[in-house]
Amino acid sequence: MDSGFIDLLRRQLKVDAATEIAADSPLRDLGMDSMRSIELLFTIEDTYGITLPDSELNETVFGSPGSLWAAVAAQLPPEQVAR
Amino acid sequence: MSVAAPAPQDADPLDLAGRVARVTAVAERHLAAADRDAAFPVQALDELRDTGLLGLVVPQEYGGLGGALRDVVDAGIALGRCDMSIALIFTMHCQQAAAVLAYAAEPLRSQLLPTLGAGRHYLASVSTESGKGGHLYSAHAALHERGDELAIDRFAPVVTGGEHADGFLITMRNVGATADNDVALVYAARDQLLVEPAGDWQPMGMRATRSAPLKLAGAVPRHQVIGPGAPFRDIANQVLGPYAHLGWSASWLGTAAGALSRTLGLVRGPAGRKRFDLASELLLTRLSTARQRLDAVHAQLRHTLAMVETTQDITTPANQLLLNSLKITASEQCHAAVDDLVDAVGLQHGYLKDSPTRIEQALRDLRSAALNYKNDRLHLADGRLALLDREVSFA
Repeated sequence: MDSGFIDLLRRQLKVDAATEIAADSPLRDLGMDSMRSIELLFTIEDTYGITLPDSELNETVFGSPGSLWAAVAAQLPPEQVAR
Repeated sequence: MSVAAPAPQDADPLDLAGRVARVTAVAERHLAAADRDAAFPVQALDELRDTGLLGLVVPQEYGGLGGALRDVVDAGIALGRCDMSIALIFTMHCQQAAAVLAYAAEPLRSQLLPTLGAGRHYLASVSTESGKGGHLYSAHAALHERGDELAIDRFAPVVTGGEHADGFLITMRNVGATADNDVALVYAARDQLLVEPAGDWQPMGMRATRSAPLKLAGAVPRHQVIGPGAPFRDIANQVLGPYAHLGWSASWLGTAAGALSRTLGLVRGPAGRKRFDLASELLLTRLSTARQRLDAVHAQLRHTLAMVETTQDITTPANQLLLNSLKITASEQCHAAVDDLVDAVGLQHGYLKDSPTRIEQALRDLRSAALNYKNDRLHLADGRLALLDREVSFA
Protein backbone atom coordinates (compact mmCIF):
# COMPACT_ATOMS: atom_id res chain seq x y z
CA MET A 1 0.00 0.00 0.00
CA ASP A 2 1.13 3.48 -0.85
CA SER A 3 2.13 5.40 2.31
CA GLY A 4 0.40 8.49 0.91
CA PHE A 5 -2.76 6.43 0.74
CA ILE A 6 -2.55 5.64 4.46
CA ASP A 7 -2.07 9.34 5.17
CA LEU A 8 -5.06 10.14 3.02
CA LEU A 9 -7.21 7.65 4.94
CA ARG A 10 -5.97 9.03 8.24
CA ARG A 11 -6.91 12.58 7.24
CA GLN A 12 -10.29 11.69 5.74
CA LEU A 13 -11.39 9.40 8.57
CA LYS A 14 -9.76 11.63 11.22
CA VAL A 15 -7.81 8.73 12.71
CA ASP A 16 -5.25 9.87 15.28
CA ALA A 17 -1.56 9.15 14.76
CA ALA A 18 -1.44 6.60 17.56
CA THR A 19 -3.92 4.30 15.87
CA GLU A 20 -2.37 1.90 13.39
CA ILE A 21 -3.99 1.54 9.97
CA ALA A 22 -3.28 -1.92 8.59
CA ALA A 23 -4.28 -3.40 5.25
CA ASP A 24 -7.01 -5.44 6.92
CA SER A 25 -8.25 -2.88 9.48
CA PRO A 26 -12.02 -2.68 9.04
CA LEU A 27 -12.65 0.86 7.80
CA ARG A 28 -15.96 0.95 9.68
CA ASP A 29 -14.02 0.55 12.92
CA LEU A 30 -11.97 3.57 11.86
CA GLY A 31 -15.09 5.72 11.65
CA MET A 32 -16.21 5.25 8.06
CA ASP A 33 -19.90 5.80 7.38
CA SER A 34 -21.88 6.35 4.18
CA MET A 35 -21.23 10.11 4.07
CA ARG A 36 -17.51 9.76 4.74
CA SER A 37 -17.23 7.01 2.15
CA ILE A 38 -18.51 9.40 -0.52
CA GLU A 39 -16.07 12.11 0.59
CA LEU A 40 -13.29 9.56 0.72
CA LEU A 41 -14.15 8.36 -2.78
CA PHE A 42 -13.98 11.86 -4.23
CA THR A 43 -10.77 12.68 -2.41
CA ILE A 44 -9.17 9.50 -3.74
CA GLU A 45 -10.35 10.26 -7.28
CA ASP A 46 -9.04 13.83 -7.09
CA THR A 47 -5.74 12.86 -5.47
CA TYR A 48 -4.89 10.08 -7.90
CA GLY A 49 -6.65 11.52 -10.95
CA ILE A 50 -8.66 8.38 -11.47
CA THR A 51 -12.30 7.33 -11.66
CA LEU A 52 -13.22 4.14 -9.84
CA PRO A 53 -15.63 2.05 -11.91
CA ASP A 54 -19.18 1.54 -10.57
CA SER A 55 -18.41 -2.16 -10.09
CA GLU A 56 -15.85 -1.26 -7.39
CA LEU A 57 -18.18 0.99 -5.42
CA ASN A 58 -19.39 -1.53 -2.85
CA GLU A 59 -18.94 -2.36 0.82
CA THR A 60 -16.41 -5.09 0.18
CA VAL A 61 -14.01 -2.79 -1.68
CA PHE A 62 -14.65 -0.03 0.86
CA GLY A 63 -14.32 -2.54 3.71
CA SER A 64 -10.57 -2.28 4.34
CA PRO A 65 -7.58 -0.16 3.30
CA GLY A 66 -6.10 -3.15 1.45
CA SER A 67 -9.14 -3.85 -0.70
CA LEU A 68 -9.65 -0.18 -1.40
CA TRP A 69 -6.01 0.31 -2.36
CA ALA A 70 -6.23 -2.69 -4.70
CA ALA A 71 -9.14 -1.01 -6.49
CA VAL A 72 -7.24 2.28 -6.68
CA ALA A 73 -4.03 0.63 -7.86
CA ALA A 74 -5.92 -1.14 -10.64
CA GLN A 75 -6.69 2.28 -12.12
CA LEU A 76 -3.13 3.62 -11.83
CA PRO A 77 -0.33 3.31 -14.37
CA PRO A 78 2.08 0.53 -13.23
CA GLU A 79 5.01 2.86 -12.46
CA GLN A 80 2.85 4.80 -10.00
CA VAL A 81 1.86 1.64 -8.12
CA ALA A 82 5.41 0.34 -7.80
CA ARG A 83 6.84 3.35 -6.03
CA MET B 1 -22.44 -43.31 -20.12
CA SER B 2 -21.50 -40.30 -22.16
CA VAL B 3 -21.64 -36.79 -20.86
CA ALA B 4 -22.34 -33.94 -23.23
CA ALA B 5 -19.67 -31.30 -23.22
CA PRO B 6 -20.90 -28.25 -21.34
CA ALA B 7 -21.64 -25.23 -23.48
CA PRO B 8 -18.95 -22.56 -23.21
CA GLN B 9 -19.95 -20.14 -20.48
CA ASP B 10 -19.49 -17.07 -22.62
CA ALA B 11 -21.25 -18.38 -25.75
CA ASP B 12 -23.89 -15.81 -26.64
CA PRO B 13 -24.74 -16.09 -30.32
CA LEU B 14 -27.40 -13.41 -29.94
CA ASP B 15 -24.91 -10.89 -28.47
CA LEU B 16 -27.74 -8.42 -28.04
CA ALA B 17 -25.63 -5.89 -26.13
CA GLY B 18 -22.91 -5.93 -28.77
CA ARG B 19 -25.36 -5.43 -31.62
CA VAL B 20 -27.19 -2.65 -29.80
CA ALA B 21 -23.88 -0.95 -29.01
CA ARG B 22 -23.11 -0.77 -32.74
CA VAL B 23 -26.45 0.96 -33.31
CA THR B 24 -26.06 3.43 -30.45
CA ALA B 25 -22.55 4.31 -31.64
CA VAL B 26 -24.06 5.39 -34.96
CA ALA B 27 -27.16 6.97 -33.43
CA GLU B 28 -25.01 9.01 -31.05
CA ARG B 29 -23.26 10.75 -33.93
CA HIS B 30 -26.49 11.86 -35.59
CA LEU B 31 -28.95 12.42 -32.77
CA ALA B 32 -28.44 16.15 -32.35
CA ALA B 33 -29.10 16.81 -36.05
CA ALA B 34 -32.03 14.37 -36.13
CA ASP B 35 -33.62 16.18 -33.17
CA ARG B 36 -32.95 19.62 -34.61
CA ASP B 37 -34.30 18.79 -38.07
CA ALA B 38 -37.02 16.32 -37.01
CA ALA B 39 -35.28 13.92 -39.38
CA PHE B 40 -35.59 10.15 -39.38
CA PRO B 41 -32.38 8.46 -38.12
CA VAL B 42 -31.64 6.70 -41.41
CA GLN B 43 -28.04 5.88 -40.45
CA ALA B 44 -29.14 4.20 -37.22
CA LEU B 45 -31.89 2.32 -39.09
CA ASP B 46 -29.26 1.08 -41.54
CA GLU B 47 -27.22 -0.15 -38.59
CA LEU B 48 -30.34 -1.90 -37.20
CA ARG B 49 -30.47 -3.63 -40.58
CA ASP B 50 -26.74 -4.43 -40.73
CA THR B 51 -26.70 -5.87 -37.20
CA GLY B 52 -29.69 -8.08 -38.01
CA LEU B 53 -31.62 -6.48 -35.17
CA LEU B 54 -34.61 -5.76 -37.41
CA GLY B 55 -34.95 -9.56 -37.49
CA LEU B 56 -34.61 -9.88 -33.71
CA VAL B 57 -37.94 -11.62 -32.99
CA VAL B 58 -37.91 -13.77 -36.14
CA PRO B 59 -36.95 -17.41 -35.46
CA GLN B 60 -33.60 -18.62 -36.75
CA GLU B 61 -35.31 -21.04 -39.14
CA TYR B 62 -36.46 -17.96 -41.07
CA GLY B 63 -33.04 -16.33 -40.86
CA GLY B 64 -33.79 -14.12 -37.86
CA LEU B 65 -31.99 -13.82 -34.52
CA GLY B 66 -34.56 -15.90 -32.64
CA GLY B 67 -35.01 -13.37 -29.85
CA ALA B 68 -38.09 -12.92 -27.69
CA LEU B 69 -40.09 -10.14 -26.04
CA ARG B 70 -37.51 -10.07 -23.23
CA ASP B 71 -34.81 -9.19 -25.74
CA VAL B 72 -36.96 -6.44 -27.25
CA VAL B 73 -37.35 -4.97 -23.76
CA ASP B 74 -33.61 -5.15 -23.07
CA ALA B 75 -32.80 -3.60 -26.45
CA GLY B 76 -35.45 -0.92 -25.92
CA ILE B 77 -33.88 0.14 -22.64
CA ALA B 78 -30.36 0.14 -24.11
CA LEU B 79 -31.38 2.11 -27.20
CA GLY B 80 -33.44 4.53 -25.10
CA ARG B 81 -30.39 5.37 -23.01
CA CYS B 82 -28.97 6.85 -26.20
CA ASP B 83 -32.08 8.18 -27.95
CA MET B 84 -35.78 7.70 -27.33
CA SER B 85 -36.76 8.00 -30.98
CA ILE B 86 -34.58 5.12 -32.16
CA ALA B 87 -35.81 2.99 -29.25
CA LEU B 88 -39.45 3.63 -30.18
CA ILE B 89 -38.78 3.00 -33.87
CA PHE B 90 -37.14 -0.30 -33.04
CA THR B 91 -39.57 -1.63 -30.45
CA MET B 92 -42.58 -0.76 -32.60
CA HIS B 93 -41.01 -2.51 -35.58
CA CYS B 94 -40.53 -5.60 -33.38
CA GLN B 95 -44.18 -5.34 -32.34
CA GLN B 96 -45.24 -5.52 -35.98
CA ALA B 97 -42.84 -8.37 -36.76
CA ALA B 98 -44.10 -10.32 -33.74
CA ALA B 99 -47.70 -9.95 -34.96
CA VAL B 100 -46.70 -11.36 -38.35
CA LEU B 101 -44.85 -14.22 -36.66
CA ALA B 102 -47.77 -15.09 -34.40
CA TYR B 103 -50.65 -14.71 -36.85
CA ALA B 104 -49.62 -14.64 -40.52
CA ALA B 105 -50.90 -17.69 -42.41
CA GLU B 106 -49.58 -19.31 -45.58
CA PRO B 107 -48.64 -18.22 -48.15
CA LEU B 108 -47.90 -14.83 -46.57
CA ARG B 109 -45.99 -16.50 -43.76
CA SER B 110 -43.44 -18.15 -46.04
CA GLN B 111 -43.10 -14.98 -48.09
CA LEU B 112 -42.76 -12.42 -45.35
CA LEU B 113 -40.93 -14.12 -42.47
CA PRO B 114 -37.68 -14.76 -44.41
CA THR B 115 -37.82 -11.14 -45.57
CA LEU B 116 -38.21 -9.95 -41.98
CA GLY B 117 -35.65 -12.47 -40.71
CA ALA B 118 -33.00 -11.10 -43.06
CA GLY B 119 -33.29 -7.87 -41.09
CA ARG B 120 -33.53 -5.54 -44.06
CA HIS B 121 -37.28 -4.89 -43.97
CA TYR B 122 -38.54 -2.07 -41.73
CA LEU B 123 -42.22 -2.39 -40.84
CA ALA B 124 -44.30 0.61 -39.87
CA SER B 125 -47.59 0.49 -38.02
CA VAL B 126 -50.62 2.27 -39.43
CA SER B 127 -53.25 2.24 -36.72
CA THR B 128 -54.12 5.90 -36.19
CA GLU B 129 -57.04 7.46 -37.98
CA SER B 130 -58.76 10.85 -37.91
CA GLY B 131 -61.62 10.91 -35.45
CA LYS B 132 -60.52 7.87 -33.43
CA GLY B 133 -56.96 8.87 -32.57
CA GLY B 134 -54.90 5.88 -31.53
CA HIS B 135 -57.83 3.69 -30.54
CA LEU B 136 -56.58 0.28 -31.61
CA TYR B 137 -59.76 -1.74 -31.55
CA SER B 138 -61.72 0.13 -34.20
CA ALA B 139 -61.30 1.35 -37.76
CA HIS B 140 -63.33 3.67 -40.00
CA ALA B 141 -61.67 3.30 -43.42
CA ALA B 142 -62.87 0.06 -44.95
CA LEU B 143 -61.24 -2.56 -47.14
CA HIS B 144 -63.05 -2.97 -50.45
CA GLU B 145 -63.02 -5.93 -52.80
CA ARG B 146 -61.48 -5.07 -56.14
CA GLY B 147 -61.45 -8.21 -58.29
CA ASP B 148 -59.29 -10.74 -56.45
CA GLU B 149 -57.66 -8.08 -54.38
CA LEU B 150 -58.44 -5.89 -51.40
CA ALA B 151 -58.28 -2.18 -51.99
CA ILE B 152 -56.76 0.10 -49.36
CA ASP B 153 -57.39 3.82 -49.37
CA ARG B 154 -56.58 5.42 -46.10
CA PHE B 155 -55.29 8.53 -44.36
CA ALA B 156 -53.22 8.10 -41.20
CA PRO B 157 -52.35 11.17 -39.10
CA VAL B 158 -49.42 9.56 -37.24
CA VAL B 159 -47.17 6.92 -38.83
CA THR B 160 -43.80 6.48 -37.14
CA GLY B 161 -41.12 6.28 -39.82
CA GLY B 162 -43.74 5.84 -42.51
CA GLU B 163 -41.70 7.70 -45.14
CA HIS B 164 -38.87 5.19 -44.66
CA ALA B 165 -40.83 1.96 -44.15
CA ASP B 166 -40.38 -1.02 -46.43
CA GLY B 167 -43.77 -2.39 -45.47
CA PHE B 168 -46.83 -1.51 -43.43
CA LEU B 169 -49.26 -3.26 -41.13
CA ILE B 170 -52.50 -1.36 -41.54
CA THR B 171 -55.70 -1.59 -39.52
CA MET B 172 -58.78 -1.37 -41.76
CA ARG B 173 -62.47 -1.94 -41.26
CA ASN B 174 -63.16 -5.43 -42.59
CA VAL B 175 -64.91 -6.12 -45.88
CA GLY B 176 -68.63 -6.17 -45.18
CA ALA B 177 -68.18 -5.16 -41.54
CA THR B 178 -71.32 -4.07 -39.73
CA ALA B 179 -69.44 -2.37 -36.88
CA ASP B 180 -66.28 -0.31 -36.47
CA ASN B 181 -64.77 -2.94 -34.20
CA ASP B 182 -64.64 -5.52 -37.01
CA VAL B 183 -61.04 -4.74 -37.86
CA ALA B 184 -58.64 -6.41 -40.28
CA LEU B 185 -54.87 -6.09 -39.99
CA VAL B 186 -53.40 -6.02 -43.49
CA TYR B 187 -49.81 -6.24 -44.63
CA ALA B 188 -48.78 -4.12 -47.60
CA ALA B 189 -45.31 -3.85 -49.07
CA ARG B 190 -44.26 -0.34 -49.98
CA ASP B 191 -44.36 -1.10 -53.73
CA GLN B 192 -47.98 -2.26 -53.45
CA LEU B 193 -49.06 1.18 -52.29
CA LEU B 194 -48.95 4.75 -53.37
CA VAL B 195 -47.48 6.38 -50.26
CA GLU B 196 -47.99 10.12 -50.14
CA PRO B 197 -46.76 12.40 -47.36
CA ALA B 198 -49.83 14.26 -46.14
CA GLY B 199 -48.41 16.82 -43.77
CA ASP B 200 -45.45 18.05 -41.77
CA TRP B 201 -43.94 16.71 -38.55
CA GLN B 202 -42.81 19.43 -36.14
CA PRO B 203 -43.43 18.05 -32.64
CA MET B 204 -42.07 19.04 -29.23
CA GLY B 205 -40.18 15.78 -28.78
CA MET B 206 -39.55 12.31 -30.22
CA ARG B 207 -38.75 14.32 -33.30
CA ALA B 208 -36.58 11.69 -34.97
CA THR B 209 -39.49 9.23 -35.09
CA ARG B 210 -40.68 11.34 -38.03
CA SER B 211 -44.27 10.26 -37.36
CA ALA B 212 -45.73 12.41 -40.12
CA PRO B 213 -49.17 11.87 -41.66
CA LEU B 214 -49.47 9.66 -44.71
CA LYS B 215 -52.01 8.85 -47.35
CA LEU B 216 -51.90 5.22 -48.45
CA ALA B 217 -53.66 3.82 -51.49
CA GLY B 218 -53.33 0.53 -53.35
CA ALA B 219 -54.47 -3.06 -53.42
CA VAL B 220 -53.10 -6.29 -52.01
CA PRO B 221 -53.96 -10.00 -52.45
CA ARG B 222 -56.48 -11.31 -49.94
CA HIS B 223 -53.91 -13.52 -48.26
CA GLN B 224 -52.12 -10.43 -46.95
CA VAL B 225 -54.70 -10.07 -44.21
CA ILE B 226 -52.88 -11.11 -41.02
CA GLY B 227 -54.54 -13.93 -39.11
CA PRO B 228 -57.51 -14.80 -41.29
CA GLY B 229 -59.83 -16.51 -38.88
CA ALA B 230 -58.28 -14.86 -35.83
CA PRO B 231 -60.24 -11.86 -34.63
CA PHE B 232 -58.17 -8.68 -34.64
CA ARG B 233 -58.98 -8.39 -30.95
CA ASP B 234 -56.87 -11.52 -30.33
CA ILE B 235 -53.89 -10.10 -32.25
CA ALA B 236 -54.20 -6.89 -30.26
CA ASN B 237 -54.54 -8.65 -26.90
CA GLN B 238 -51.87 -11.29 -27.42
CA VAL B 239 -49.20 -9.36 -29.31
CA LEU B 240 -49.80 -5.72 -30.18
CA GLY B 241 -50.83 -4.62 -26.67
CA PRO B 242 -48.06 -6.36 -24.71
CA TYR B 243 -45.36 -5.38 -27.22
CA ALA B 244 -46.60 -1.79 -27.25
CA HIS B 245 -46.76 -1.25 -23.50
CA LEU B 246 -43.56 -3.15 -22.72
CA GLY B 247 -41.65 -1.73 -25.69
CA TRP B 248 -42.69 1.85 -25.00
CA SER B 249 -42.05 1.55 -21.27
CA ALA B 250 -38.60 0.09 -21.95
CA SER B 251 -37.83 2.97 -24.33
CA TRP B 252 -38.97 5.57 -21.80
CA LEU B 253 -37.13 3.91 -18.93
CA GLY B 254 -33.96 3.84 -21.02
CA THR B 255 -34.39 7.50 -21.93
CA ALA B 256 -34.72 8.57 -18.30
CA ALA B 257 -31.96 6.20 -17.16
CA GLY B 258 -29.64 7.65 -19.81
CA ALA B 259 -30.39 11.19 -18.63
CA LEU B 260 -29.82 10.24 -15.00
CA SER B 261 -26.59 8.43 -15.84
CA ARG B 262 -25.22 11.39 -17.82
CA THR B 263 -26.26 13.71 -14.98
CA LEU B 264 -24.45 11.58 -12.40
CA GLY B 265 -21.40 11.52 -14.66
CA LEU B 266 -21.49 15.29 -14.78
CA VAL B 267 -21.93 16.03 -11.08
CA ARG B 268 -19.55 13.22 -10.06
CA GLY B 269 -16.79 14.25 -12.46
CA PRO B 270 -13.82 16.38 -11.34
CA ALA B 271 -15.28 19.57 -12.83
CA GLY B 272 -18.78 18.78 -11.61
CA ARG B 273 -17.62 18.31 -8.04
CA LYS B 274 -16.32 21.87 -8.03
CA ARG B 275 -19.61 23.21 -9.36
CA PHE B 276 -22.11 21.06 -7.47
CA ASP B 277 -22.20 20.59 -3.71
CA LEU B 278 -22.61 16.84 -3.44
CA ALA B 279 -23.28 17.15 0.29
CA SER B 280 -26.32 19.31 -0.46
CA GLU B 281 -29.34 17.58 1.02
CA LEU B 282 -31.57 19.07 -1.65
CA LEU B 283 -29.39 17.71 -4.46
CA LEU B 284 -29.10 14.31 -2.80
CA THR B 285 -32.88 14.16 -2.31
CA ARG B 286 -33.56 15.06 -5.92
CA LEU B 287 -31.13 12.43 -7.18
CA SER B 288 -32.71 9.92 -4.85
CA THR B 289 -36.23 10.75 -5.99
CA ALA B 290 -35.30 10.41 -9.66
CA ARG B 291 -33.62 7.08 -9.01
CA GLN B 292 -36.57 5.87 -6.90
CA ARG B 293 -38.98 6.57 -9.75
CA LEU B 294 -36.84 4.62 -12.21
CA ASP B 295 -36.40 1.65 -9.88
CA ALA B 296 -40.19 1.51 -9.47
CA VAL B 297 -40.71 1.57 -13.24
CA HIS B 298 -38.00 -1.02 -13.77
CA ALA B 299 -39.55 -3.33 -11.18
CA GLN B 300 -42.99 -3.04 -12.73
CA LEU B 301 -41.54 -3.53 -16.21
CA ARG B 302 -39.79 -6.77 -15.19
CA HIS B 303 -42.83 -8.00 -13.26
CA THR B 304 -45.18 -7.29 -16.17
CA LEU B 305 -42.79 -8.98 -18.59
CA ALA B 306 -42.77 -12.10 -16.40
CA MET B 307 -46.58 -12.04 -16.31
CA VAL B 308 -46.83 -11.80 -20.11
CA GLU B 309 -44.30 -14.61 -20.53
CA THR B 310 -46.01 -17.02 -18.17
CA THR B 311 -49.74 -16.28 -17.98
CA GLN B 312 -52.28 -18.67 -19.45
CA ASP B 313 -54.75 -15.86 -20.10
CA ILE B 314 -53.54 -12.34 -20.67
CA THR B 315 -57.10 -11.01 -20.94
CA THR B 316 -58.05 -11.36 -17.25
CA PRO B 317 -58.82 -8.01 -15.63
CA ALA B 318 -55.88 -8.30 -13.24
CA ASN B 319 -53.42 -8.97 -16.08
CA GLN B 320 -54.82 -6.22 -18.30
CA LEU B 321 -54.72 -3.78 -15.39
CA LEU B 322 -51.07 -4.60 -14.73
CA LEU B 323 -50.13 -4.15 -18.39
CA ASN B 324 -52.02 -0.87 -18.72
CA SER B 325 -50.75 0.49 -15.43
CA LEU B 326 -47.17 -0.25 -16.49
CA LYS B 327 -47.70 2.08 -19.44
CA ILE B 328 -49.30 4.79 -17.31
CA THR B 329 -46.72 4.52 -14.53
CA ALA B 330 -43.74 4.45 -16.89
CA SER B 331 -45.00 7.42 -18.89
CA GLU B 332 -45.55 9.50 -15.76
CA GLN B 333 -42.57 8.47 -13.67
CA CYS B 334 -39.90 8.56 -16.39
CA HIS B 335 -40.95 12.08 -17.29
CA ALA B 336 -41.11 13.09 -13.64
CA ALA B 337 -37.64 11.67 -12.99
CA VAL B 338 -36.10 13.79 -15.74
CA ASP B 339 -38.07 16.79 -14.51
CA ASP B 340 -36.46 16.22 -11.09
CA LEU B 341 -33.08 16.37 -12.80
CA VAL B 342 -33.82 19.80 -14.27
CA ASP B 343 -34.16 21.14 -10.73
CA ALA B 344 -31.24 19.08 -9.50
CA VAL B 345 -28.68 20.57 -11.87
CA GLY B 346 -30.30 23.88 -12.77
CA LEU B 347 -30.48 25.98 -15.88
CA GLN B 348 -27.17 25.39 -17.58
CA HIS B 349 -27.22 21.61 -17.53
CA GLY B 350 -30.93 21.03 -17.03
CA TYR B 351 -32.46 23.41 -19.51
CA LEU B 352 -29.98 24.25 -22.23
CA LYS B 353 -29.73 22.15 -25.38
CA ASP B 354 -25.96 21.90 -25.48
CA SER B 355 -25.49 20.28 -22.07
CA PRO B 356 -23.91 16.81 -22.23
CA THR B 357 -26.70 15.61 -19.91
CA ARG B 358 -29.21 15.95 -22.79
CA ILE B 359 -31.87 16.48 -20.09
CA GLU B 360 -33.58 19.10 -22.24
CA GLN B 361 -34.20 16.67 -25.09
CA ALA B 362 -35.10 13.76 -22.78
CA LEU B 363 -37.76 15.89 -21.09
CA ARG B 364 -39.28 16.95 -24.41
CA ASP B 365 -39.14 13.39 -25.70
CA LEU B 366 -40.73 11.94 -22.57
CA ARG B 367 -43.56 14.46 -22.56
CA SER B 368 -45.03 12.44 -25.42
CA ALA B 369 -45.25 9.28 -23.31
CA ALA B 370 -48.57 10.16 -21.68
CA LEU B 371 -50.03 10.99 -25.11
CA ASN B 372 -48.69 7.99 -27.01
CA TYR B 373 -51.84 5.89 -26.60
CA LYS B 374 -53.27 8.47 -24.27
CA ASN B 375 -53.23 7.85 -20.53
CA ASP B 376 -56.69 9.42 -20.25
CA ARG B 377 -58.07 6.71 -22.53
CA LEU B 378 -56.22 3.99 -20.68
CA HIS B 379 -57.55 5.19 -17.32
CA LEU B 380 -61.11 4.80 -18.61
CA ALA B 381 -60.35 1.24 -19.65
CA ASP B 382 -58.69 0.57 -16.31
CA GLY B 383 -61.60 2.02 -14.39
CA ARG B 384 -63.92 -0.44 -16.11
CA LEU B 385 -61.49 -3.30 -15.53
CA ALA B 386 -61.19 -2.34 -11.86
CA LEU B 387 -64.96 -2.76 -11.52
CA LEU B 388 -64.54 -6.33 -12.78
CA ASP B 389 -62.01 -7.22 -10.12
CA ARG B 390 -63.79 -6.56 -6.84
CA GLU B 391 -61.32 -8.66 -4.90
CA VAL B 392 -58.42 -6.61 -6.25
CA SER B 393 -56.44 -9.71 -7.18
CA PHE B 394 -53.02 -8.46 -8.19
CA ALA B 395 -51.34 -10.17 -11.13
